[in-house]
Amino acid sequence: METVISVETGGRLVAWVSSYLAIGPFLAWAMVFPFKGPRTPEIDRVFLTSLALRPRGTMGRQPCPTHAPGDVAAMATLLLRVLRPLSRLLGGHCPAEGVSLRAGIHGASLLYPDHIPTSPLQKALLAAGSAGMALYDPYRHDMVAVLGETTGYYTLKVLRDQMRRDPEGAQILQERPRISLATLDMDKLRSLPEGSFGCEYLRFLEVNRVSPDTRAPTRFVDDEELAYVIQRYREVHDMLHTLLGMPTNILGEIVVKWFEAVQTALPMCVLGALFGPVRLRAQSLQVLVSELIPWAVQNGRRAPCVLNLYYERRWEQPLAALREELGITVPPLDMRVLS
Amino acid sequence: MAAPRSCVLWSYCVRRWSRLMRTGGPQWLHSSLPGGSLGVRLLSREKQATETHFGFETVSEEEKGGKVYQVFESVAKKYDVMNDMMSLGIHRIWKDMLLWKMNPLPGTQLLDVAGGTGDIAFRFLNYVQAQHQRKQKRQLRAQQNLSWEEIAKKYQNEEDLLGGSRVMICDINREMLKVGKKKALDQGHKAGLAWVLGDAEELPFDDHKFDVYTIAFGIRNVTHIDQALQEAHRVLKPGGRFLCLEFSKVNNPLISRLYDLYSFQVIPVLGEVIAGDWKSYQYLVESIRKFPSQEEFKEMIEDAGFQKVTYESLTSGIVAIHSGFKL
Repeated sequence: METVISVETGGRLVAWVSSYLAIGPFLAWAMVFPFKGPRTPEIDRVFLTSLALRPRGTMGRQPCPTHAPGDVAAMATLLLRVLRPLSRLLGGHCPAEGVSLRAGIHGASLLYPDHIPTSPLQKALLAAGSAGMALYDPYRHDMVAVLGETTGYYTLKVLRDQMRRDPEGAQILQERPRISLATLDMDKLRSLPEGSFGCEYLRFLEVNRVSPDTRAPTRFVDDEELAYVIQRYREVHDMLHTLLGMPTNILGEIVVKWFEAVQTALPMCVLGALFGPVRLRAQSLQVLVSELIPWAVQNGRRAPCVLNLYYERRWEQPLAALREELGITVPPLDMRVLS
Repeated sequence: MAAPRSCVLWSYCVRRWSRLMRTGGPQWLHSSLPGGSLGVRLLSREKQATETHFGFETVSEEEKGGKVYQVFESVAKKYDVMNDMMSLGIHRIWKDMLLWKMNPLPGTQLLDVAGGTGDIAFRFLNYVQAQHQRKQKRQLRAQQNLSWEEIAKKYQNEEDLLGGSRVMICDINREMLKVGKKKALDQGHKAGLAWVLGDAEELPFDDHKFDVYTIAFGIRNVTHIDQALQEAHRVLKPGGRFLCLEFSKVNNPLISRLYDLYSFQVIPVLGEVIAGDWKSYQYLVESIRKFPSQEEFKEMIEDAGFQKVTYESLTSGIVAIHSGFKL
């Protein structure tokens, strides 16, 4: 039963479409005719591939079995055709074994220590799931982080290129400083004069009872440098709170998100800025829309990219001078009044 | 037919000794004897050779126990929610089918190993209670009066609603047991339950104690499955039944493809979104692939000494219930 079918583009397209149309009866047939007995990889391959329709070109590299049961071959080839385009979407999910993606998690293809390789489908599911969960349970900060990682790939590239063009940013990319309790010299920060950036930052951490160690490591970004960029963005978030003078209540967080959205254009920031206010009271919402958001957007537009600042070298700089350098004005109202 | 006590003691000692020897033995044994170093080298070579799988990773056997413990410690709180999400609620039907297959009568002593959150145990209690009530109703309808003891107990509110059935829940993980105890309180199960911290490979029970031994979705996490099966054989009474509900190999290739797709693409994502833990659920789906097929597992059960071993595949092989008898 040798049927030689040419696989130039037009023919491939027609076959692809017709296979989708044919999948219906095939599924019905497959449900009615369960494959009894022990399943072995050999039988898998026989069922799913056929000598006749082994494609020429780059569509697939499965090994050819030596025979296929006659009546199964035709149906099987249709299934193969259908599932092969899906395999790209599933990140190389190999039809016969399905091991390639799973094997990647352990050791071999990790780009950085916490990396978890994910297929495009998994990224889409993660983005949708994390967005929903973040809205449902605002305390799940890890979901916001995951949303940022899965949706921000192209924006992170733009950010990284822009960091490379700036001299201070390029230094950050090269030296890769991290902000955590281990790397911060708390005694030195405490000894700094009043009004300096380091002192204000420390005060912010103490007043709001936050610690720089609560940021989860990046996991789902498939590029090592971009993973660092998003990690730096997360660690710099607290600095932004200090610069803008915003507390860590929900109103303050939304204002900072608006600022970040204008500055970085990360999809996660944009979504957070747009959907964050959903849970606010009407009064806070009114204040937010009338005064805080315009102020945040103005400052975001005016300031150069905040990721380009080497904050670790600016602890001694007075906060007022730093704000002037970036063009950030004082907040329009006292945030303590609102919380 | 019970083995004499000295024989039991001897076999226990032998087991302990062999375990000790396997992990290198006490120091004095090595240093004092001239052949001691050779003995150590032999033992250490044997130790290096014992590696096993943790999902698709290869780890040493000592490590696997610890890693599995950590996995279940981190998933314990969301275990039931995740089960519902992952199996779309079908796991309840599977567990119900296990109970229907078991068909316990009042008076059965059940040992539920790796039964941390108590799903099987609670179903068992409900089943046995319903059976007991039905039996009493039948007796009354057939104009057989209850015995005086039963009537007296009823008036004193001391009657045993379970008709003498007891279930012992054994799990190696403290967190899972904690979650299970809380669930028992919430669902109102007070009588007939006992919670024991124990290792399936070395159960802290005497021989010939239980009528039924169940292990639901637990045996694939055990490092030495054959030892767990031997322990099961040991603690069962003659005539006792071994039941195992576990993920198995899907027989239909189309469904297998869809199942693989769902397992590897969706389940870790669900784990991350709902429980905040990708790696544990990756381990879960990988450990399912590593578990032997229905036939292989049946042979392993037969090797442990069980007779009349059968299996039933549910949902076209996604799970299978294996059953064997100690005769």
